[in-house]
Amino acid sequence: MPRDRILPTSMFRPPADSLGWQPLLDIYAVRDGWLLKVDLAGVRPDEVTVTIVGRRVTVRGLRRDQSIEEGCCHYRMEISYSRFERTVELPDDPGPVAVQTESRDGMLLIRIRRNTHP
Amino acid sequence: MSDTPEPVADRFYPVLPIKNSVLFPGLFLPLSVGRSFTRAAVDAAMATEEKTLVVVAQRDVNVDVANLDDVYAVGTVGVIKKLARSPEAIELLVQGAGRVRLLKSTQSEPYLRAAVQTLPPPLGGGEQVEALHRAVLDAARKVIELARPQAEIDVEQVLAQAPNPVQLAYLLASMLGLDVIKEQALLEAESPEVALALILDHLSHETRVLELRNQVASKAQQEMTKEQREYWLRQQMRAIQDELGESTPEKAEAGDLRRRLQESDLPDAVRKEAERELNRLERLPPAAPDFQVTRTYLELILELPWKKSSEAAIDLAAAKEVLDADHYGLERIKERILEHLAVLKLNPKARAPILCLVGPPGVGKTSLGQSVARATGRTFERLSLGGMHDESELRGHRRTYIGAMPGRLIQAIRRAGVNNPVLMLDEIDKLGRDYRGDPAAALLEILDPAQNNTFRDNYLDLPFDLSNVLFITTANTLDPIPAPLLDRLEVLRLSGYSEAEKVEIARRYLIPRQVKETGLPDGSFNLPDETVRRLVSRYTREAGVRQLEQMIGRLARKVAVRFAQGTTEPVTIGPEDLSELLGPERFSPEEARKQLPPGVATGLAWTETGGDVLYIEASLIPGAHGLKLTGQLGEVMKESASIARSLMMAQAARFGIDPGVFRRNGVHIHVPAGAVPKDGPSAGVAMVTALASLYTHTPARSDTAMTGEVTLTGLVLPIGGVKEKVLAARRAGITHIVLPKANEKDLRDVPEPVRNEMAFVMASTVEDVLAATIPQSARAGVGVR
Repeated sequence: MPRDRILPTSMFRPPADSLGWQPLLDIYAVRDGWLLKVDLAGVRPDEVTVTIVGRRVTVRGLRRDQSIEEGCCHYRMEISYSRFERTVELPDDPGPVAVQTESRDGMLLIRIRRNTHP
Repeated sequence: MSDTPEPVADRFYPVLPIKNSVLFPGLFLPLSVGRSFTRAAVDAAMATEEKTLVVVAQRDVNVDVANLDDVYAVGTVGVIKKLARSPEAIELLVQGAGRVRLLKSTQSEPYLRAAVQTLPPPLGGGEQVEALHRAVLDAARKVIELARPQAEIDVEQVLAQAPNPVQLAYLLASMLGLDVIKEQALLEAESPEVALALILDHLSHETRVLELRNQVASKAQQEMTKEQREYWLRQQMRAIQDELGESTPEKAEAGDLRRRLQESDLPDAVRKEAERELNRLERLPPAAPDFQVTRTYLELILELPWKKSSEAAIDLAAAKEVLDADHYGLERIKERILEHLAVLKLNPKARAPILCLVGPPGVGKTSLGQSVARATGRTFERLSLGGMHDESELRGHRRTYIGAMPGRLIQAIRRAGVNNPVLMLDEIDKLGRDYRGDPAAALLEILDPAQNNTFRDNYLDLPFDLSNVLFITTANTLDPIPAPLLDRLEVLRLSGYSEAEKVEIARRYLIPRQVKETGLPDGSFNLPDETVRRLVSRYTREAGVRQLEQMIGRLARKVAVRFAQGTTEPVTIGPEDLSELLGPERFSPEEARKQLPPGVATGLAWTETGGDVLYIEASLIPGAHGLKLTGQLGEVMKESASIARSLMMAQAARFGIDPGVFRRNGVHIHVPAGAVPKDGPSAGVAMVTALASLYTHTPARSDTAMTGEVTLTGLVLPIGGVKEKVLAARRAGITHIVLPKANEKDLRDVPEPVRNEMAFVMASTVEDVLAATIPQSARAGVGVR
């Protein structure tokens, strides 16, 4: 069995307490706050939770292998399944915010608006 | 999740046994799954939502796993992150999650499935963990440092990936490549302390191994480097030598020397020595300082004419012809040289005496040597000893000295190329001597026919036979030559030439030579004898003909200018043209003083440039006492003056002198020219004549010159340089000469025309002299006050 002693460092990024995977994301600066676009194709929106604590935005959830049917098996698996969790820090602390999520074409859009009128 | 004696199964998983490795929690492990029961385990895991299974190491790699006894009791839950299936195997990337204890199998076909108990991660802290953690970090840094040449890893970045000490231990274990037993022990570690202690042990082991490996490697590297360095340096040296063009030439040079040595005809002893030096040379690196020294030495040996001599068939008639053709006059010298050659012809082994040609400059000593060489068919070499003051210059320096060279003598022989040249040692009277040695002493050996067949030059350090060399030495005077050296020389005197001889020499040799040198057409430059005579008397004053030749050369060049400007008519230079061409006359003739006052006598002197007339003036100093002498007189001449005065006082009556005059007057004798040093006894008779004339107050004859040494009793003794003195007197217009009787034989040297023109009085006593110089005094016997 081949034994790779030198681990690719990019692969070694497990959160200490979870075995999930980390979705890729973009952050846009918009006029009234931030817009995060998270690559979460195949994830049902109701299985995603977004939490914002200060500048830290955490996206976690579950991607199920939904195409399973009787008698089929994987020939190749590259898509990460099961739990995921991704935490990013915003460039600034937006203060009180209004958060709105939207799933569009497999992407989860998280709109974070500064709440100027609480 | 509690750790109780009765473990409780909390999950069921497919079991994936692997060989040679352990999956640690948190780490990824790529796996290749080929066996059917493991494939089935993977398929089962892939069919679940979480895609998890238990990865556990096999105890024995060689068996197919049938039940849990074949695997370790503790395994790791792994999540399949990636998968690719090929006909032969399934490639997996599995990430370790938590540790589990395998309790019992729930199925074994088509894959093993087991009930497991989840084990808590070995967490905990404390000082010991902290200490161990740091020790592990240090050791890990060291290991990675040592291993870095192979694994290009950023140490800190790798270590920073581990979120806790145990995770660090897992990470390091996976990097170290431990065997499966050790990895399994680490996996089973229940506390951070145990895990860290285990990994620290492995790290220190790894450190020792790596250090040892580096030592071995660097030693090998060093050995290779040393060889490479030498090789590189040699290559560079070769390149430099190539650049300088000396790489192969050196070898070629040694080879060339050896070839020359084999071809050359050397005496056995010399060949042996040369062979030895050549062998040494071939072993020497060309850069060694000795290389050049040895090479130069060998070249000298090879170039010296050890056995080579020129054919020296002596034909006396031909030799005489050559000598006569080359030199006018010098009859006695030529005669002596011919005698010398005759002896050499009859007995080639004869120890030839060394000729020493003595004479003023420009009388043809050097050219006579060349003529001898020509007459005998030998090579001529000249070696000037003038100013040489170091014995080493003549005899060479020992080869051990830096810049050592053979002596001048051996160098001359080398130039001559034969071992029987005519070797002229010029200016032997001008040898110097100082604390460095006396070259004259070295000459003693060189010039002694009994010793010079084994002459040993310090540089050559081999005996060289000089006995076949015909040595001719030259000198201007004999006085400075040390007696032992003079003893070995056969002296031949070349005195100056008379005016008639000079005219003849000019006509035969000097004029044609100068015409040739200036490139004038034949017959275009005529110098009548009359003009030459004027040149000799008014423009030159010398015993030889060197200045005369310069004057003739100057005239020839003046004529050459005219020819170069287009004149084609032959030019004849008369005596009256000289002042225009050469400027005013340089010397007024030494006209004899027409009338001499009492107390003045005409003496004759011999100088290096020939003879000279000098007047001795004496004058009474009333009231003074004793004798006063001026005119740079030497000791001997001063004594002559004292003798003359004593003679006068002792025999005053005989010369008809009033003795009272000595009491009343002192006497002052002066010999002009005042600035020229003079010495010698030959002015004796002139002093006597001057004093006699002074005391008797009778003038001496102005047409009479005299020379001779006088004794206290009035005898006249012989002197040298008769010919020069007579010629000088003749130039000055003197007609009568008083000479010592014993010098009568020397008159033979005086050219006949001169001899016929002059009257000679041969005196043996002072009376004879005075009778000829002050005839009145003898007749009248007049006394003075």
